[in-house]
Amino acid sequence: MTRLTDLPPDQARRLAEVECPEFKTRPWVTGPALSQRRVAIVSSAGLVVRGEEPFRGRDPHYHAIPATTRPEDLLCSHISINFDRTGLQEDWNVAFPIDRLRELAADGTIGSMADTHYSFMGATDPLQMEPHARELAGRLKQDNVDSVLLAPV
Amino acid sequence: MSALGHYLEEEGIATVAIVLIRPQAENTKPPRALWVPFELGRPFGPPNDPAFQKRVVLATLGMLNEGGGPVRIVDFPEDDPRAQPDPAWQPPFVPRTVANGDAESLASRMEAEILLLQGAHRRWMEQHGRSTVGLSGLVIGDCARYVSDWLRGKAPPSPRDGFSAPLILRFAVDDLKAYGLEAAGAGPAKPSSRQLTDWFWNETATGAAIHALREVLQAHEDERLRLIVSNFIVPAARVRAG
Repeated sequence: MTRLTDLPPDQARRLAEVECPEFKTRPWVTGPALSQRRVAIVSSAGLVVRGEEPFRGRDPHYHAIPATTRPEDLLCSHISINFDRTGLQEDWNVAFPIDRLRELAADGTIGSMADTHYSFMGATDPLQMEPHARELAGRLKQDNVDSVLLAPV
Repeated sequence: MSALGHYLEEEGIATVAIVLIRPQAENTKPPRALWVPFELGRPFGPPNDPAFQKRVVLATLGMLNEGGGPVRIVDFPEDDPRAQPDPAWQPPFVPRTVANGDAESLASRMEAEILLLQGAHRRWMEQHGRSTVGLSGLVIGDCARYVSDWLRGKAPPSPRDGFSAPLILRFAVDDLKAYGLEAAGAGPAKPSSRQLTDWFWNETATGAAIHALREVLQAHEDERLRLIVSNFIVPAARVRAG
């Protein structure tokens, strides 16, 4: 588990003290009932579709993951090796819960699931990701997505 | 992750984040976040436990229609049951490794071990229908040979266009780790990540070879190679003192 007390002291200190940007605004977007929302996953696990170039180092851009991607074609190219990969090896929903979203869309709990999901590589400086994230917002709107589930690793 | 939420919300898209490191979310102040007490790498909890994962997803998405923000951080109440070891788990057989064997011996034993694990990895594929091996673009035997060549003191060129030798070395090591850990997970038991990685890093020739590779190449003249082997092949918690 990731209670910081369970990690090696050096790693816990680095994670707790990682520099975070300070924002001047506090956005809070509201919307319709969950059953009316269209939801996309945005991961920071450095996920790529097999055959694409993996993330290199701290690339600030994102990769698209079509909802039609098969489980055997999703790879994790995050630069950090200090997190568990055995869960993701066994079941992609551990970090990319697309099957759960599909079930929630099928039973009407959410309105629908996006046609495309996305992944960044989370060790990148957030300030470098900013232009890519803002451009991604436009893509999400084109897919009529109004809500995003942010999945770390 | 929390910063991404901030940017997307500023562009008009509602977000809710899972957070694994609570102090990071407290500092970044995302609009909405669910803290989960799971191991890094498992934000939605245990593998192959759809009911548990669904509870996490619902707790997260449910925050989209709750008030109390901006900046709302809620704690998920359940622990990951797969964090506990499974006493029924048995690792695949590999010859006992002497951790401090010389580089040539470790390289040979790693190559033999990858062959030895083929059966267990095939069972993994039959069981799960997928493998996460593939970042290097090399077949697993070639991954072992490429890493072995570095361990033997050669400096093999990158076998893949557009990828530098240090980068392909990193991905080849990633693939070897994935192959070994998947082979170890084959079967009906539900081992914890700790059980699997203890075996890999403490008992296999592949784990010992990756440790040795880190030690051997830390003195290499190529700065990028030194950076990669120092930080991106052996997890910090597994680095041996000295």
